[in-house]
Amino acid sequence: MCASAPRPSGASAVRSLYSSHPTWMHALPAWVKLAVLSVCGTLLVLVERPVHLSIACIVVLLLFASLGRTAWLRMRMLVGIAIGCALIVGFHWFLGTTWLGVASALRLASAAVLALMLTLTTRFEDLLAVLETVMRPLQRFGVPTERIALGIGLMLRFAENFYVQWQRLDDAYRARAGHGGGLRLLAPLTIRTLQTAERVADALAARLGR
Amino acid sequence: MRWPRGWADSSAAQNPTNTPSPNRVMTTTGSITSSRSLSYIALFAALMAVFGLIPKVDLPFGVPITLQSLGVMLAGCLLGSRRGFFAIALFLLAVALGLPLLPGGRGGLAVFVAPAGGFLFGWMFGAFACGLLMRRMAGATGKGLLAAAFFASVVGGIVVVYAFGIVGLSLIAHMSLTQAALAMLVFIPGDLIKCGICAMLVQTVMRGMPSWRLDRD
Repeated sequence: MCASAPRPSGASAVRSLYSSHPTWMHALPAWVKLAVLSVCGTLLVLVERPVHLSIACIVVLLLFASLGRTAWLRMRMLVGIAIGCALIVGFHWFLGTTWLGVASALRLASAAVLALMLTLTTRFEDLLAVLETVMRPLQRFGVPTERIALGIGLMLRFAENFYVQWQRLDDAYRARAGHGGGLRLLAPLTIRTLQTAERVADALAARLGR
Repeated sequence: MRWPRGWADSSAAQNPTNTPSPNRVMTTTGSITSSRSLSYIALFAALMAVFGLIPKVDLPFGVPITLQSLGVMLAGCLLGSRRGFFAIALFLLAVALGLPLLPGGRGGLAVFVAPAGGFLFGWMFGAFACGLLMRRMAGATGKGLLAAAFFASVVGGIVVVYAFGIVGLSLIAHMSLTQAALAMLVFIPGDLIKCGICAMLVQTVMRGMPSWRLDRD
């Protein structure tokens, strides 16, 4: 994150999801990938039947596998998604609506993997450029579109930063206490992120004026 | 509730010991599209995104349990009405553009016409209401602040959000307003807990960052 303290080296590789190892998907223009993601995301919400959703999920996973080494390196993220899906199915099994749970889980898995592929293979600046182009017509109506695009960009960076800050606080706590901090870290985390936002605000005001 | 009426509006002018520190001057509420506001708006939009990454559970009638209403309350209480509104709006824009930021990795335009779509619109106005109330009670301290933030989040994060959500649900799922409202009752206990967490976090922020202002418009 731009305004936070210097990152420990090595940490940035973990946190920035973009993979510099080129794949066939890196070569596609960002707007194509974003358009496909939007269409697929919308379709997934509309599809109800578990059979169709599992076909979608398999196709998405095959696509993911086609990324080769890049995909293999990010296997851990798939595990996270799988745990989330298992929780959903478990809850619905408990309520007696297992199939609804399976459908939700498949939808989650497909959408998450699709989004993961976009993040892995697209530079953030490219994504932002697409958004700015898409919104350009709104400028005529006095909408400050470049601010909106900047806002979305900042939002995504901040989201990443939450994780970084949490990790850092947890490491520090672990070093002192021998175990993770858990919910105790909520207060320092809140204050830290607000301070980060304050510094970013200063930096933005200095650069953009006003 | 211990804060005097109108305290928030007059404290700065009437209290000579309350000289504005440099920090205070820097956090002056400026134009809504100023670059300074943008940073805070983006921060709370990011908070919404992070809450959305936590796995959701669907109740049978298609409204998910989510932590994101906590994000709505926090945005309203800590950012003020307009900035809170825009933080949620920015987040929803990102969702509409197809980013999978709602619980369960959902996104795209379809979520706005889903049974829970009314809640998404309600979030913006809920944050706005939270901010308005918080501003009225910005002078509160200690337990009073806790109560004030709790009250603001109940009204903004529950009453306003549910008003939109219930209307949306009854329109989309073809239920009567009463049925929709009854269906929503399941969520109230969880949301009250979120109001409590929100109140505690607001108090924490005011303790840890005394320069933070709750009286933004």
